[in-house]
Amino acid sequence: MASKKVDSTGDSTSSKVEDEKPIKVDKWDGSAVKNALDDAVKKVFTEKYKYVENHWLMDGRLIICTVAVGAAMFALLWDYLHPFPESRPILIFCVLSYFVLMGVLTLYTTFLEKGIFLIALMKDPAGVDPDNTWTASSSLKRFDDTYHLVLEFTDAKTKSTRDVKLSKSISCWFDENGTLLFDLFEPEVCKLHNSLLAEKKNK
Amino acid sequence: MLEFLDDIKRMNKRQLVYQALNFGMIVSSALMIWKGLMVVTGSESPIVVVLSGSMEPAFHRGDLLFLTNHKEDPVRVGDIVVFKVEGRDIPIVHRVLKLHEKEDGSVKILTKGDNNSVDDRGLYAPGQLWLNKKDIVGRARGFVPYVGIVTILMNDYPKLKYAVLGCLGLFVLVHRE
Repeated sequence: MASKKVDSTGDSTSSKVEDEKPIKVDKWDGSAVKNALDDAVKKVFTEKYKYVENHWLMDGRLIICTVAVGAAMFALLWDYLHPFPESRPILIFCVLSYFVLMGVLTLYTTFLEKGIFLIALMKDPAGVDPDNTWTASSSLKRFDDTYHLVLEFTDAKTKSTRDVKLSKSISCWFDENGTLLFDLFEPEVCKLHNSLLAEKKNK
Repeated sequence: MLEFLDDIKRMNKRQLVYQALNFGMIVSSALMIWKGLMVVTGSESPIVVVLSGSMEPAFHRGDLLFLTNHKEDPVRVGDIVVFKVEGRDIPIVHRVLKLHEKEDGSVKILTKGDNNSVDDRGLYAPGQLWLNKKDIVGRARGFVPYVGIVTILMNDYPKLKYAVLGCLGLFVLVHRE
C-alpha cells in the first residue's frame, strides 16, 4: 500500500520513488553513466511533472533500422531461394540500399537527433492552447567527467525557444559504488525547469 | 555477474526494440559485406580457407584465399582454382593441369594438387573425368597466411564457435550504446 507524503513544495507524492531500487552503474563506463543520468531526467519530467513523452524522434530511427535489416533479410532469403548468380541484380539492389540506409541513419543521428533524448509535451490545463514542448539533450565526452545537459522550452503560442544549460561533474551525483543519488540530481533538474518557466512569466 | 540483466529490466519497450535492431544491424552489416563481395567478385564464395596441405609449398593449411570468377577472365592452364565436386560441400584448392575448350565456350578441366603425386580424378564423382565451368568457385587472386586457422578451429570444435558467437550476441543485446 503506497503511503502519501507531503513535501515542502506542497504537492503530495507517493513514496513509490523510494521503493524503486536505485540505479547502479559502472562508474568508469561513460555511456552507462550518461544513460543513467538521461533516464533520471526522463523520470523527473514524466513522473514529477507528468508531461507526456513524444517518441517521434526515436521512432524515426527505429523505422530506418527496421527497413535496413529488412533489406538484408530479404537479400538473404532471395539468395537462398535463387542461388547466385541468378540473384545478382537483387543482391546488388539490396546491398546498395542497405549502405544508403546506413548513411541516412548516420545523417539522421548527427543532424536531426543531436543528442536529444527526451521530447515532452506540457499540456495546457485548459485544453485550449497547443502544447508547449520541452526538449532535453545531453552529452558526456569520452573519458571526461563533465555532463552537459541542455533543456529547451518551446512556447507553442509565440513559437519562441529558450534554453538553459548545466555542465557539472558526474561525481556530484554518483557515490563511490556507482549508485545514482537521485535525491541530489532531481533538485538540480527541477531548478533548471523552474528557471525556464519563470523566464516565460517575466517575458 | 547478473547485474547486466538489471540494465535490461530498466529498459522500456522502445529501447528493447532498439537493442534487438542493433544486434540485427551488426548481423546485417556482416551479411551485406559478404553478399557485396559475392557480387563484386562474381564468385559464390569469395573467401575460402585452405583445408589441406595438397598445395604446399605455395599454400598451407589455414591460409585465407581471395577468389574472383569473372566470365571475361577464362581459366587457363597453370591457374590455381577452387572447385567443389558435385554432391560434396568441401572446396578444394588445386592447379589446372589440362584444359579442353570448345568454340561455344564450354570447357573441360583437369586439376592436380602441387603436393599430390596423382591428378584429381580420384577426387571427382564416380565416373567423372573432367570438371565443368559450373564446378569452379573461382580463381585464386591473393592470399593471407595463417588467418584461416580460426575458421578451421571453429569447425573442428563447434562448441567453441557457439560459445564465442553466443557471448558476442549476448553482449551486443544487453549493452546500451
